[in-house]
Amino acid sequence: MVRGLVADPRLAGVGLGLRWEFLDEVLAGPEPGVPFFEVSPENYMRRGGYYRAALETLLERCPIITHGLTLSLGAEEPPDSGYLEMLRVETQWLHSPWHSDHLCFTAAGGRVLHELLPLKFSRENVLRIADRVRAAEDFLGLPMAVENITFYAHPGRREMTEAEFITAIAERSGCALLLDVNNVYVNAQNHGFDAREMLEQLPLERVVQVHVAGHTRSPEGFIIDTHGAAVPDAVLELLRFTLERTGPLPVVLERDHDIPALAELLKEVAKLESAYTESVARWQERRAQSA
Amino acid sequence: MHNPLESAILELVLGAELEVHNPRTLDAWLSRHRVSEEDSRAIREQGLEGLLVYRRLVRSRLRETMELAIERTINHLGPVFDEYFDRFLAERGPRTHYLRDVTGEFLDFCEPLWKADERVADYSIWLGRHEELQVEMAAMEVSADVGEAGPLELDLPLRFIAAARVVRYPYAVHELPISPGDREAPAARPTALLAYRDSKHHVHNLELTTLAASILERLLHGRITLRQAAVEACGENGIALSEAVLTGLASVLSDLAQRGVLLGAAHSR
Repeated sequence: MVRGLVADPRLAGVGLGLRWEFLDEVLAGPEPGVPFFEVSPENYMRRGGYYRAALETLLERCPIITHGLTLSLGAEEPPDSGYLEMLRVETQWLHSPWHSDHLCFTAAGGRVLHELLPLKFSRENVLRIADRVRAAEDFLGLPMAVENITFYAHPGRREMTEAEFITAIAERSGCALLLDVNNVYVNAQNHGFDAREMLEQLPLERVVQVHVAGHTRSPEGFIIDTHGAAVPDAVLELLRFTLERTGPLPVVLERDHDIPALAELLKEVAKLESAYTESVARWQERRAQSA
Repeated sequence: MHNPLESAILELVLGAELEVHNPRTLDAWLSRHRVSEEDSRAIREQGLEGLLVYRRLVRSRLRETMELAIERTINHLGPVFDEYFDRFLAERGPRTHYLRDVTGEFLDFCEPLWKADERVADYSIWLGRHEELQVEMAAMEVSADVGEAGPLELDLPLRFIAAARVVRYPYAVHELPISPGDREAPAARPTALLAYRDSKHHVHNLELTTLAASILERLLHGRITLRQAAVEACGENGIALSEAVLTGLASVLSDLAQRGVLLGAAHSR
């Protein structure tokens, strides 16, 4: 069972995506301030020096989940074997319970774009990505969780909805899902669909981790997943909606721009934690009623 | 392996800006990448505004990365930087999974082009290399196991910390003010530096004499003895291996040992 992956009791509640802007503050404190952190391994792989040493220190204090950026699961070209080898070493060293990356392509024609580019929701992509996910799991020796991205355009003619695309990949590969509720909200706003309806169409029993973040509006009129603002109420509501259906899961607050001081972020974590506790209580009530 | 949609998006993001409102340009772009008729129709109906968001996102992330790494070089170059940034993306593009290595790829791409471009000052590539070196040294991966080290002996190789490297520039770019707004040109003077990362992870740059650089380059490889390194370096520089040279060498090595760069002589286990 995918959900059985969340076996470590420390992987519950609200953690933070680790960023260098507040790393010193985290290390200086008596406690890390959150039960766990999520890191992007690309920022630490093949690296020595301060940040590597800091991550080693942090690893002694709390669990770390890895969340990659450049596996490029949706690309035509298979992932770079050198990168995969380094990723295997890194995820093993960090004892990550799973490794997540995005349903997108980040590399094409030998170029690595360092951005999450959109995929066509097609049967062909489902088959290729499901194979890629299984191959990555075999190579890494670790379960994979795939994350729904924001997309500002769908490339080409859709053969299915986003929810159908994600579901088909998860079911065909047997992988877990990392559900980013901010991405669901942003896509719903940009493309005019109901976020809750989409969540209900997803195989929520496969979700092992949740992301929340804030967003901003672009000059073109799109809502952009910048991770550059506090989590808005509408996204918080989607988090509640999700947790009431999934039960307790590790939730990660992501912040990449206009990052406030750690104390400010921890206030936001506390607010999320409160919503988390209430939602999990509701999930327990629902479960008791249906039993 | 050709994926028409990937290929088309790649050009849209990294290539020259397309006149997206010109239907002929749009058709030519889709046709160039052999995008199917049904996908082309969907893209035309949808418009390109959404896909163009990715052009802005990709380019701003890469540009911010370079601004962090080689801010002074970019300021020295002025608008010429934008031209080469665009050319880099269009003609080569980043190949690395590690954002911190993109700047090095950019400089590798630019080096031969800047040599032939009279608008670019000769020192620019060296200033870029020097700025990038600071990032590289700060992040250099090193093995914890550097081997055992003992008292110095002339007939043994030496052991140094792994995060140490000798670099040579034809300009004293390391003397330029740190202030990013300063556009003073560096002195045209052959310069050798020992760049190293200390135990507190700070990067330092020590200016070396030509002879000291020649000796250290050999010693850092770790394969020849102190005596061989001194003899070869003196020969290369046309200097007699005198008492004064040996005294100077002892002084340099002592300083490096105090700085924690030189660990001692390499002893077999």
